[in-house]
Amino acid sequence: MAKVELAGVYKRFGALEVCSNVNLAVADKEFVTLLGSSGCGKTTILNMIAGLEDVSAGEIRMEGRVVNNLTPFERDVAMVFQNYALYPHMTVAENIGFTLRLRRISRAEIEKRVGTIAGLLELTPLLGRLPSQLSGGQQQRVAIGRAMVREPKTFLFDEPFSNLDAALRVRMRSEIKLLHQRLGVTSIFVTHDQEEALSISDRVAVINEGRVEQVGTPEEIYVRPVSRYVARFIGSPQIDLLDGAIVEETGGTGFRVGHVLFSLPQPLVHALRAQGALELGVRPENVLITDRGTAANVRVVNPVGPASFVTLAWEGGLITARVPGMSRLKAGEAVQFTVDPQHLMFFDKASGRRIEVSGEL
Amino acid sequence: MQGKSSKLGRLSIQLGLGIFAFWTLAPIAWLVVSSLMQQQALTATPPDFSPSAFTFQNYVEVMNSAAALGRGLANSLIVAVSTTAVALAVGAPAAYALARFQLPGSGPILLMILATQMFPGIVVAIPMFIVMSHLGLIDSRLGLVIVYLSFNLPIVIWILHGFFLAIPVGLERAAAVDGATTLQIFRLIVLPISWPPIFATAIFAFIESWNEFFFALILTRQNAQTVPLVISQFAGQYQTVFGQMMAAATMAVTPVVVIAIIFRQSIMKGFTEGMIKS
Repeated sequence: MAKVELAGVYKRFGALEVCSNVNLAVADKEFVTLLGSSGCGKTTILNMIAGLEDVSAGEIRMEGRVVNNLTPFERDVAMVFQNYALYPHMTVAENIGFTLRLRRISRAEIEKRVGTIAGLLELTPLLGRLPSQLSGGQQQRVAIGRAMVREPKTFLFDEPFSNLDAALRVRMRSEIKLLHQRLGVTSIFVTHDQEEALSISDRVAVINEGRVEQVGTPEEIYVRPVSRYVARFIGSPQIDLLDGAIVEETGGTGFRVGHVLFSLPQPLVHALRAQGALELGVRPENVLITDRGTAANVRVVNPVGPASFVTLAWEGGLITARVPGMSRLKAGEAVQFTVDPQHLMFFDKASGRRIEVSGEL
Repeated sequence: MQGKSSKLGRLSIQLGLGIFAFWTLAPIAWLVVSSLMQQQALTATPPDFSPSAFTFQNYVEVMNSAAALGRGLANSLIVAVSTTAVALAVGAPAAYALARFQLPGSGPILLMILATQMFPGIVVAIPMFIVMSHLGLIDSRLGLVIVYLSFNLPIVIWILHGFFLAIPVGLERAAAVDGATTLQIFRLIVLPISWPPIFATAIFAFIESWNEFFFALILTRQNAQTVPLVISQFAGQYQTVFGQMMAAATMAVTPVVVIAIIFRQSIMKGFTEGMIKS
C-alpha cells in the first residue's frame, strides 16, 4: 500500500525555479514514468520524492501522510541510480546487504535475504565480487537487488538503463516490467527515452521545463497529446507539423498548405473553422505513399527492419512516411502521398495546445 | 614522419625527466657521499675523492653523541606522528563538511584556511613565541604539535576537500536512501573509499613536521629539540663538522625516504585520484 502524491510542489535553487506547481498522484502498485528531455527537472522531482532534495513549496504525501520533512529511509523508498552508485569497496553481497546491516539485522538473516535476492536476479555466483569486476548489466542488477532487499513501499528509478548498450536496455525493459508485476510495488521511473517510457509504464507524466505537461496512459500520450510539445516529444521519427489554414471553397474543404489541399470530413472542418492559425500534426504512420495525391520526391530512405521511414520533399517542406518492410524506393524518385484524415492532430499555433475535436478519432 | 616526431617527443620527455631527477637526487647523493668523507678531503678544493678519503668515522662520531640524536629522533617521531594524527582526525571531517554541506560562509572559510598559508613563518614567529611562552609551552612537544597543526591542518583540509568533492554524490545519496546517517555515510562509505588520498596526505603532513626547522629552533631549548635542530648543532661556533652533520642528516632523512619509497604507489594514487576522479 503506497500511494504517492505531489501537490503544488515547487523547487527553487536561489532565483532559479526548476519545478513549478507539480501535481501528480501515483496510485498504489502503479508504474509511473516521468518523461522529459535532459534538464527538464524530472530527476529533481524524483529526488524530492526520495527525500534527497528539499521541497521549496507544496506537499509530498505518501499513503496520505505528508513526508516533506522525513528522511529517505523514513519514507521507506528504495532508489536505483543512473550510474548505479554501487559502493566500490564492498562486494556484491555487502552492497545488497548494506541497508540491512544499518538496521542491525542479524548476520544470518542478512545472508538469507541477500541470498534470496541474488537467486532472483541471477547474481548468486557474483556475490563475492567487487562492483569493478562486474559488467554494466550485472552492476545494474546489483543496484536493483540493493533496492529490492529491504522490501520498500516505493521504488524510484533514475534513468537506470541509460548506461547500458541498446540491446540490454531493451531486454531490461521487460525484466523491470516482470519484476513490477511480480512484486507489485509502486514504482516511479525517470527517463528521457520516450520509447522506454511508453513500453514500461502504466502511466506517463511528460515533464517540460519543471512542469507536468500531461499525465496519461501511453496510448493517451501518443494518440491524444495535449500540446505540440508532447506530440513532438513522443514518437520516433518525430511528428511532422504543417503550417496552413482551414478552407471551404468550391474546389473542396480541408486544410490548405500552400497550393496543396488536404481534404477533411465536413464535420471536422466545421469544428475547426472558428479557430485561429493552426498547425497540422501528422505522424509517419499516417502518411500514405499512393499513386494519387500530393506530388513529392523521395529524399532519404531509412529502413529499420520491419518498416522503413521515407522522408519526402514536397511543396510544404519535408514529411516522413512509414512504409511496411524494407522499402525499395530510391532517393530522387517521384511519388505521391496522402494523409489519413482519421489520425490528424490540430494545434493552436499561438498556444501550442492541441484542439480537441469531438468525434475526431 | 609520425614515428619520428613521436620518438623525438619521447626523447625530450626522457631528457626533461632526467634533468628533473638529477636536480632532485643530486643533493641527496651529495649528502650521502659527503657523510662518508673525511673533513679535509671534503673541504679541499677540489674535494678529494680518492678511496682513502672515505670513512665511516663520521657515523661512529655521531653515534657516540647518540644521546642528543636519539632524543631528537624520538621528539621528531612523537611530534610528527601526533601532528599527523590530529591533522587527519580533525581535517578529514572538516574537509568533508566543507565539501558536502551547504554551510553558510563555507566559501570564505575555505579562503581563510588558504590565506593562513600565505603568511611567511617569520611574520608569526614572534607572536607565536609570546603566546607559547605565556602558555608555558616553550620547549615542549605539545607546543610544537600545536604550531605544526596550524600549518598542516589547512593543507590536509584543502587536499581532502578537493578529493571529497570529486566523489560521486550518488554514492552518498544511495547510502542515505539505504538508511545511513551522515556520520555513517562518512564512516562507512566516504572514509573507506578515500584511504589512498588520506594516506598520501598523512605522509605529506608527517614529512612536513619531520623536516620543520624554523619553529623548532625558536620554540625549543633542549628537551623538545627535533632532529633538524640536533643536526644543525654539528655546526659549532668555530668549526663546522661537515662530515658528522651530513651523517646525522642522512640518518634523519632515511626514515622519510624509506616511507616515501615503500608507499610511493599509494601516495601517487592518492594525489592523482583526487585530481582526475569524475
